[in-house]
Amino acid sequence: MRALVVYCHPRPLSFTAAVRDVALDGLRDAGAEVRLIDLYAEGFVPAMAADEHARYEDEELNQQGVEAHVADIKWCDTLIFVYPTWWYGMPAMLKGWLDRALVPGVAFEMPTAENATIRPGLQHIQRLGVLTTCGASWWLTRFIGAPGKRTILRGVRLLCARRCKTLYAAHYLMDSSTPESRAAHLATVARKMQTFCGRKVNGLEAMS
Amino acid sequence: MSRALVLFAHPCPESFSAALHKTVVETLGAQGWEVDDCDLNAEGFSPVLTEAERRGYHDEGDNIAPVADYVARLRAAEALVMVFPVWNFGYPAILKGFLDRVFLPGVSFKLIDGKVKPNLTHIRKLAAVTTYGGTRMRALLAGDPPRCSVKRAVWHVCRPDKMRYLALYDMNRADDAKRAGFLARVTQEMEAF
Repeated sequence: MRALVVYCHPRPLSFTAAVRDVALDGLRDAGAEVRLIDLYAEGFVPAMAADEHARYEDEELNQQGVEAHVADIKWCDTLIFVYPTWWYGMPAMLKGWLDRALVPGVAFEMPTAENATIRPGLQHIQRLGVLTTCGASWWLTRFIGAPGKRTILRGVRLLCARRCKTLYAAHYLMDSSTPESRAAHLATVARKMQTFCGRKVNGLEAMS
Repeated sequence: MSRALVLFAHPCPESFSAALHKTVVETLGAQGWEVDDCDLNAEGFSPVLTEAERRGYHDEGDNIAPVADYVARLRAAEALVMVFPVWNFGYPAILKGFLDRVFLPGVSFKLIDGKVKPNLTHIRKLAAVTTYGGTRMRALLAGDPPRCSVKRAVWHVCRPDKMRYLALYDMNRADDAKRAGFLARVTQEMEAF
Protein backbone atom coordinates (compact mmCIF):
# COMPACT_ATOMS: atom_id res chain seq x y z
CA MET A 1 0.00 0.00 0.00
CA ARG A 2 1.37 3.38 -1.03
CA ALA A 3 -0.55 6.22 0.56
CA LEU A 4 -0.44 9.89 -0.34
CA VAL A 5 -1.90 12.19 2.32
CA VAL A 6 -2.70 15.72 1.14
CA TYR A 7 -3.04 17.92 4.20
CA CYS A 8 -4.30 21.49 4.15
CA HIS A 9 -4.66 23.74 7.18
CA PRO A 10 -2.96 27.06 7.94
CA ARG A 11 -2.53 26.43 11.69
CA PRO A 12 0.05 23.83 12.75
CA LEU A 13 -1.80 23.07 16.00
CA SER A 14 -5.28 22.77 14.58
CA PHE A 15 -7.65 19.87 15.22
CA THR A 16 -7.22 19.01 11.55
CA ALA A 17 -3.52 18.37 12.28
CA ALA A 18 -4.58 15.89 14.97
CA VAL A 19 -6.86 14.15 12.48
CA ARG A 20 -3.94 13.97 10.03
CA ASP A 21 -1.73 12.35 12.67
CA VAL A 22 -4.36 9.72 13.47
CA ALA A 23 -4.63 8.95 9.75
CA LEU A 24 -0.84 8.69 9.40
CA ASP A 25 -0.69 6.34 12.39
CA GLY A 26 -3.42 4.21 10.88
CA LEU A 27 -1.53 3.96 7.60
CA ARG A 28 1.76 3.05 9.31
CA ASP A 29 0.02 0.44 11.45
CA ALA A 30 -1.27 -1.11 8.24
CA GLY A 31 2.28 -1.25 6.94
CA ALA A 32 1.76 1.36 4.23
CA GLU A 33 4.46 3.46 2.67
CA VAL A 34 3.39 7.03 3.27
CA ARG A 35 4.04 10.37 1.60
CA LEU A 36 2.68 13.60 3.06
CA ILE A 37 2.04 16.87 1.24
CA ASP A 38 1.51 19.84 3.57
CA LEU A 39 0.21 22.53 1.23
CA TYR A 40 0.46 25.51 3.59
CA ALA A 41 3.89 24.50 4.88
CA GLU A 42 5.32 24.31 1.39
CA GLY A 43 3.61 27.54 0.31
CA PHE A 44 1.77 25.96 -2.58
CA VAL A 45 0.34 28.53 -5.03
CA PRO A 46 -3.28 27.59 -5.73
CA ALA A 47 -4.24 30.06 -8.47
CA MET A 48 -3.53 28.74 -11.95
CA ALA A 49 -1.61 31.37 -13.92
CA ALA A 50 -2.52 32.42 -17.46
CA ASP A 51 0.57 30.80 -19.06
CA GLU A 52 -0.12 27.60 -17.15
CA HIS A 53 -3.70 27.55 -18.37
CA ALA A 54 -2.47 28.14 -21.93
CA ARG A 55 -0.49 24.87 -21.83
CA TYR A 56 -3.10 22.98 -19.78
CA GLU A 57 -4.00 20.57 -22.55
CA ASP A 58 -0.41 20.04 -23.69
CA GLU A 59 0.55 16.80 -21.92
CA GLU A 60 4.25 17.43 -22.56
CA LEU A 61 4.22 20.77 -20.74
CA ASN A 62 1.28 20.85 -18.35
CA GLN A 63 3.19 19.32 -15.41
CA GLN A 64 5.69 22.18 -15.25
CA GLY A 65 5.89 23.55 -11.73
CA VAL A 66 4.00 20.62 -10.18
CA GLU A 67 6.33 17.76 -11.19
CA ALA A 68 6.83 16.47 -7.63
CA HIS A 69 3.09 16.46 -6.97
CA VAL A 70 2.39 14.61 -10.20
CA ALA A 71 5.05 12.03 -9.30
CA ASP A 72 3.34 11.47 -5.93
CA ILE A 73 -0.06 11.08 -7.59
CA LYS A 74 1.32 8.51 -10.03
CA TRP A 75 3.11 6.68 -7.23
CA CYS A 76 0.21 6.21 -4.81
CA ASP A 77 -2.57 3.64 -4.72
CA THR A 78 -4.30 5.35 -1.79
CA LEU A 79 -5.14 9.06 -1.69
CA ILE A 80 -6.43 10.80 1.45
CA PHE A 81 -7.38 14.45 1.79
CA VAL A 82 -7.33 16.04 5.26
CA TYR A 83 -8.78 19.57 5.42
CA PRO A 84 -11.27 21.85 7.16
CA THR A 85 -14.51 22.48 5.25
CA TRP A 86 -14.91 26.20 4.60
CA TRP A 87 -17.94 27.47 2.76
CA TYR A 88 -19.12 23.88 2.30
CA GLY A 89 -16.02 23.13 0.27
CA MET A 90 -12.32 22.53 0.51
CA PRO A 91 -10.02 25.51 1.17
CA ALA A 92 -8.95 27.39 -1.97
CA MET A 93 -5.41 26.11 -1.33
CA LEU A 94 -6.55 22.51 -1.77
CA LYS A 95 -8.90 23.30 -4.66
CA GLY A 96 -5.89 24.85 -6.39
CA TRP A 97 -3.96 21.62 -5.92
CA LEU A 98 -6.72 19.76 -7.78
CA ASP A 99 -6.76 22.43 -10.50
CA ARG A 100 -3.00 22.44 -11.03
CA ALA A 101 -1.89 18.86 -10.35
CA LEU A 102 -4.83 16.81 -11.69
CA VAL A 103 -4.09 17.83 -15.28
CA PRO A 104 -4.91 16.06 -18.56
CA GLY A 105 -2.55 13.14 -19.17
CA VAL A 106 -2.22 12.61 -15.40
CA ALA A 107 -5.73 12.48 -13.95
CA PHE A 108 -7.78 12.09 -17.12
CA GLU A 109 -7.69 12.08 -20.91
CA MET A 110 -9.45 14.83 -22.82
CA PRO A 111 -12.19 13.89 -25.30
CA THR A 112 -10.95 13.22 -28.83
CA ALA A 113 -12.60 12.43 -32.14
CA GLU A 114 -12.45 8.70 -31.25
CA ASN A 115 -13.35 9.07 -27.58
CA ALA A 116 -16.37 11.23 -27.02
CA THR A 117 -16.05 11.67 -23.30
CA ILE A 118 -13.47 12.39 -20.62
CA ARG A 119 -11.65 9.16 -19.69
CA PRO A 120 -10.21 8.41 -16.24
CA GLY A 121 -6.46 8.44 -15.61
CA LEU A 122 -6.24 7.55 -11.91
CA GLN A 123 -7.28 3.90 -12.16
CA HIS A 124 -4.24 2.93 -10.08
CA ILE A 125 -5.92 4.60 -7.09
CA GLN A 126 -7.81 1.91 -5.16
CA ARG A 127 -8.65 3.90 -2.05
CA LEU A 128 -9.86 7.49 -1.78
CA GLY A 129 -10.53 9.26 1.51
CA VAL A 130 -11.80 12.57 2.90
CA LEU A 131 -11.21 13.52 6.55
CA THR A 132 -12.68 16.90 7.37
CA THR A 133 -14.34 19.20 9.87
CA CYS A 134 -17.47 21.30 9.24
CA GLY A 135 -18.64 24.43 11.04
CA ALA A 136 -22.16 23.64 9.90
CA SER A 137 -24.41 20.88 11.20
CA TRP A 138 -24.91 17.57 9.46
CA TRP A 139 -28.38 18.75 8.40
CA LEU A 140 -27.25 22.08 6.93
CA THR A 141 -24.37 20.36 5.15
CA ARG A 142 -26.83 17.87 3.65
CA PHE A 143 -29.20 20.67 2.65
CA ILE A 144 -26.42 22.53 0.82
CA GLY A 145 -25.41 19.22 -0.79
CA ALA A 146 -21.90 18.94 0.66
CA PRO A 147 -20.23 20.32 -2.47
CA GLY A 148 -16.69 19.83 -1.11
CA LYS A 149 -17.23 16.18 -0.30
CA ARG A 150 -18.86 15.64 -3.70
CA THR A 151 -16.00 17.30 -5.58
CA ILE A 152 -13.66 14.62 -4.22
CA LEU A 153 -15.72 11.53 -3.42
CA ARG A 154 -17.81 11.78 -6.59
CA GLY A 155 -15.83 14.02 -8.98
CA VAL A 156 -12.30 12.71 -8.38
CA ARG A 157 -13.78 9.27 -7.67
CA LEU A 158 -14.94 9.10 -11.32
CA LEU A 159 -11.27 9.14 -12.33
CA CYS A 160 -10.11 6.38 -9.94
CA ALA A 161 -10.28 2.58 -10.09
CA ARG A 162 -13.73 1.21 -10.83
CA ARG A 163 -14.03 -0.47 -7.42
CA CYS A 164 -12.20 2.25 -5.55
CA LYS A 165 -12.91 2.06 -1.83
CA THR A 166 -13.89 5.31 -0.13
CA LEU A 167 -13.56 6.78 3.34
CA TYR A 168 -15.38 9.78 4.80
CA ALA A 169 -15.31 11.15 8.32
CA ALA A 170 -16.38 14.64 9.41
CA HIS A 171 -16.68 16.38 12.74
CA TYR A 172 -19.77 18.61 12.33
CA LEU A 173 -20.59 21.76 14.35
CA MET A 174 -16.89 22.32 14.89
CA ASP A 175 -17.40 25.75 16.48
CA SER A 176 -19.27 24.22 19.42
CA SER A 177 -17.03 21.13 19.70
CA THR A 178 -15.87 19.94 23.12
CA PRO A 179 -12.76 18.02 24.19
CA GLU A 180 -15.03 14.95 24.41
CA SER A 181 -16.52 15.37 20.94
CA ARG A 182 -13.07 15.89 19.46
CA ALA A 183 -11.62 12.84 21.21
CA ALA A 184 -14.61 10.76 20.07
CA HIS A 185 -14.07 11.92 16.51
CA LEU A 186 -10.37 11.00 16.58
CA ALA A 187 -11.39 7.52 17.78
CA THR A 188 -13.88 7.30 14.90
CA VAL A 189 -11.17 8.29 12.42
CA ALA A 190 -8.81 5.64 13.86
CA ARG A 191 -11.52 2.98 13.55
CA LYS A 192 -12.48 3.97 10.01
CA MET A 193 -8.81 3.98 9.00
CA GLN A 194 -8.54 0.34 10.06
CA THR A 195 -11.46 -0.66 7.86
CA PHE A 196 -10.20 1.53 5.04
CA CYS A 197 -6.74 -0.03 5.14
CA GLY A 198 -8.08 -3.57 5.39
CA ARG A 199 -7.04 -5.99 2.69
CA LYS A 200 -10.55 -6.72 1.55
CA VAL A 201 -11.28 -4.11 -1.08
CA ASN A 202 -14.18 -5.46 -3.07
CA GLY A 203 -16.35 -7.09 -0.43
CA LEU A 204 -19.00 -5.66 1.86
CA GLU A 205 -16.43 -4.01 4.06
CA ALA A 206 -15.78 -1.61 1.23
CA MET A 207 -19.23 -0.13 1.77
CA SER A 208 -18.51 1.20 5.25
CA MET B 1 -28.23 53.68 -9.90
CA SER B 2 -28.08 50.07 -8.81
CA ARG B 3 -24.68 48.58 -8.33
CA ALA B 4 -23.64 45.14 -9.58
CA LEU B 5 -20.49 43.32 -8.52
CA VAL B 6 -19.15 41.02 -11.22
CA LEU B 7 -16.65 38.43 -9.94
CA PHE B 8 -14.61 36.99 -12.78
CA ALA B 9 -12.24 34.05 -12.32
CA HIS B 10 -10.41 33.00 -15.48
CA PRO B 11 -6.72 33.80 -15.98
CA CYS B 12 -6.76 34.01 -19.79
CA PRO B 13 -8.12 37.04 -21.66
CA GLU B 14 -8.63 34.99 -24.85
CA SER B 15 -10.80 32.35 -23.14
CA PHE B 16 -14.50 31.81 -23.75
CA SER B 17 -15.02 32.69 -20.08
CA ALA B 18 -13.48 36.09 -20.82
CA ALA B 19 -15.97 36.54 -23.67
CA LEU B 20 -18.81 35.72 -21.27
CA HIS B 21 -17.37 38.16 -18.75
CA LYS B 22 -17.22 40.93 -21.37
CA THR B 23 -20.81 40.24 -22.40
CA VAL B 24 -22.04 40.34 -18.79
CA VAL B 25 -20.23 43.61 -17.99
CA GLU B 26 -21.33 45.33 -21.22
CA THR B 27 -24.93 44.17 -21.07
CA LEU B 28 -25.39 45.16 -17.44
CA GLY B 29 -23.75 48.54 -18.15
CA ALA B 30 -26.08 49.14 -21.11
CA GLN B 31 -29.06 48.38 -18.87
CA GLY B 32 -28.04 51.15 -16.50
CA TRP B 33 -26.27 49.13 -13.83
CA GLU B 34 -23.24 50.65 -12.22
CA VAL B 35 -20.86 47.72 -12.72
CA ASP B 36 -18.02 46.98 -10.33
CA ASP B 37 -15.92 44.67 -12.51
CA CYS B 38 -13.71 42.50 -10.29
CA ASP B 39 -11.30 40.39 -12.34
CA LEU B 40 -9.71 38.35 -9.56
CA ASN B 41 -6.69 37.21 -11.57
CA ALA B 42 -5.99 40.65 -13.03
CA GLU B 43 -6.29 42.22 -9.58
CA GLY B 44 -3.85 39.64 -8.22
CA PHE B 45 -6.28 38.47 -5.52
CA SER B 46 -4.66 35.98 -3.15
CA PRO B 47 -7.01 33.08 -2.45
CA VAL B 48 -5.03 31.75 0.50
CA LEU B 49 -6.61 32.28 3.92
CA THR B 50 -3.54 32.76 6.11
CA GLU B 51 -2.80 31.43 9.57
CA ALA B 52 -3.36 34.89 11.08
CA GLU B 53 -6.68 35.24 9.24
CA ARG B 54 -7.78 31.82 10.47
CA ARG B 55 -6.99 32.79 14.06
CA GLY B 56 -8.98 36.01 13.77
CA TYR B 57 -11.75 34.53 11.63
CA HIS B 58 -14.53 34.87 14.21
CA ASP B 59 -13.54 38.33 15.52
CA GLU B 60 -16.28 40.26 13.76
CA GLY B 61 -15.14 43.72 12.76
CA ASP B 62 -11.40 43.04 12.98
CA ASN B 63 -11.58 40.01 10.69
CA ILE B 64 -12.25 42.17 7.63
CA ALA B 65 -8.97 44.14 7.91
CA PRO B 66 -6.93 42.06 5.43
CA VAL B 67 -9.69 42.26 2.78
CA ALA B 68 -11.47 45.51 3.75
CA ASP B 69 -11.61 46.79 0.17
CA TYR B 70 -13.28 43.61 -1.12
CA VAL B 71 -15.73 43.63 1.78
CA ALA B 72 -16.70 47.24 0.96
CA ARG B 73 -17.29 46.30 -2.68
CA LEU B 74 -19.42 43.33 -1.67
CA ARG B 75 -21.44 45.44 0.77
CA ALA B 76 -22.10 48.07 -1.89
CA ALA B 77 -23.59 45.55 -4.32
CA GLU B 78 -27.28 45.04 -5.04
CA ALA B 79 -26.52 42.34 -7.57
CA LEU B 80 -23.79 39.70 -7.66
CA VAL B 81 -22.77 37.93 -10.86
CA MET B 82 -20.13 35.19 -10.72
CA VAL B 83 -18.44 34.36 -14.04
CA PHE B 84 -16.13 31.33 -13.91
CA PRO B 85 -15.18 28.06 -15.55
CA VAL B 86 -15.87 24.85 -13.60
CA TRP B 87 -12.59 23.04 -13.01
CA ASN B 88 -12.57 19.59 -11.41
CA PHE B 89 -16.20 19.95 -10.35
CA GLY B 90 -15.59 23.10 -8.40
CA TYR B 91 -14.77 26.78 -8.55
CA PRO B 92 -11.30 27.79 -9.69
CA ALA B 93 -9.21 28.15 -6.51
CA ILE B 94 -9.10 31.93 -6.86
CA LEU B 95 -12.90 32.17 -6.60
CA LYS B 96 -13.13 29.62 -3.79
CA GLY B 97 -10.59 31.79 -1.97
CA PHE B 98 -12.89 34.80 -2.33
CA LEU B 99 -15.54 32.88 -0.39
CA ASP B 100 -12.98 31.72 2.18
CA ARG B 101 -11.47 35.17 2.80
CA VAL B 102 -14.21 37.74 2.05
CA PHE B 103 -17.48 35.94 2.92
CA LEU B 104 -16.61 36.27 6.61
CA PRO B 105 -18.69 36.06 9.77
CA GLY B 106 -20.26 39.51 10.17
CA VAL B 107 -20.01 40.10 6.42
CA SER B 108 -21.90 37.38 4.60
CA PHE B 109 -23.44 35.66 7.58
CA LYS B 110 -24.01 36.03 11.30
CA LEU B 111 -23.67 33.13 13.65
CA ILE B 112 -26.59 33.40 16.06
CA ASP B 113 -26.93 30.54 18.56
CA GLY B 114 -24.68 28.49 16.30
CA LYS B 115 -27.00 28.99 13.32
CA VAL B 116 -26.03 30.71 10.07
CA LYS B 117 -28.17 33.82 9.48
CA PRO B 118 -28.00 35.55 6.07
CA ASN B 119 -26.24 38.90 6.10
CA LEU B 120 -25.98 39.81 2.41
CA THR B 121 -29.68 40.49 1.99
CA HIS B 122 -28.91 43.77 0.18
CA ILE B 123 -28.00 41.54 -2.78
CA ARG B 124 -31.38 41.21 -4.47
CA LYS B 125 -30.19 39.49 -7.62
CA LEU B 126 -27.72 36.66 -7.89
CA ALA B 127 -26.38 34.97 -11.02
CA ALA B 128 -23.67 32.55 -12.06
CA VAL B 129 -22.42 32.27 -15.63
CA THR B 130 -20.29 29.18 -16.03
CA THR B 131 -18.92 26.51 -18.35
CA TYR B 132 -18.26 22.82 -17.70
CA GLY B 133 -15.74 20.72 -19.65
CA GLY B 134 -17.82 17.60 -19.08
CA THR B 135 -21.40 16.80 -19.96
CA ARG B 136 -24.46 17.56 -17.84
CA MET B 137 -24.73 13.84 -17.06
CA ARG B 138 -21.16 13.76 -15.80
CA ALA B 139 -21.82 16.76 -13.59
CA LEU B 140 -24.98 15.10 -12.23
CA LEU B 141 -23.00 11.94 -11.44
CA ALA B 142 -20.68 14.06 -9.32
CA GLY B 143 -23.66 15.81 -7.70
CA ASP B 144 -22.85 19.07 -9.51
CA PRO B 145 -20.98 20.70 -6.59
CA PRO B 146 -20.64 24.22 -8.09
CA ARG B 147 -24.38 24.39 -8.78
CA CYS B 148 -25.08 23.39 -5.16
CA SER B 149 -22.59 25.92 -3.89
CA VAL B 150 -24.10 28.85 -5.80
CA LYS B 151 -27.78 27.93 -5.65
CA ARG B 152 -27.78 26.85 -2.03
CA ALA B 153 -24.74 28.13 -0.09
CA VAL B 154 -24.37 31.58 -1.68
CA TRP B 155 -28.13 31.85 -2.17
CA HIS B 156 -28.64 31.07 1.51
CA VAL B 157 -26.69 34.15 2.69
CA CYS B 158 -28.26 36.54 0.12
CA ARG B 159 -31.87 35.28 -0.10
CA PRO B 160 -32.23 37.13 -3.42
CA ASP B 161 -35.49 37.89 -5.25
CA LYS B 162 -33.97 36.59 -8.45
CA MET B 163 -31.49 33.77 -9.04
CA ARG B 164 -30.08 32.57 -12.35
CA TYR B 165 -27.61 29.72 -12.89
CA LEU B 166 -26.51 29.80 -16.52
CA ALA B 167 -24.31 26.89 -17.50
CA LEU B 168 -22.85 25.60 -20.74
CA TYR B 169 -21.93 21.92 -20.41
CA ASP B 170 -19.60 19.82 -22.55
CA MET B 171 -17.42 22.82 -23.44
CA ASN B 172 -14.61 20.59 -24.71
CA ARG B 173 -16.71 19.61 -27.68
CA ALA B 174 -18.79 22.78 -28.11
CA ASP B 175 -18.68 24.31 -31.59
CA ASP B 176 -18.94 27.98 -32.56
CA ALA B 177 -22.72 27.76 -32.94
CA LYS B 178 -23.20 26.31 -29.48
CA ARG B 179 -20.94 28.93 -27.91
CA ALA B 180 -22.66 31.74 -29.80
CA GLY B 181 -26.03 30.40 -28.65
CA PHE B 182 -24.90 30.46 -25.03
CA LEU B 183 -23.52 34.01 -25.39
CA ALA B 184 -26.88 35.09 -26.78
CA ARG B 185 -28.68 33.45 -23.86
CA VAL B 186 -26.41 35.18 -21.36
CA THR B 187 -27.00 38.53 -23.08
CA GLN B 188 -30.75 38.00 -22.95
CA GLU B 189 -30.72 37.01 -19.27
CA MET B 190 -28.53 39.98 -18.33
CA GLU B 191 -30.84 42.34 -20.24
CA ALA B 192 -33.75 41.01 -18.22
CA PHE B 193 -31.75 41.01 -14.98
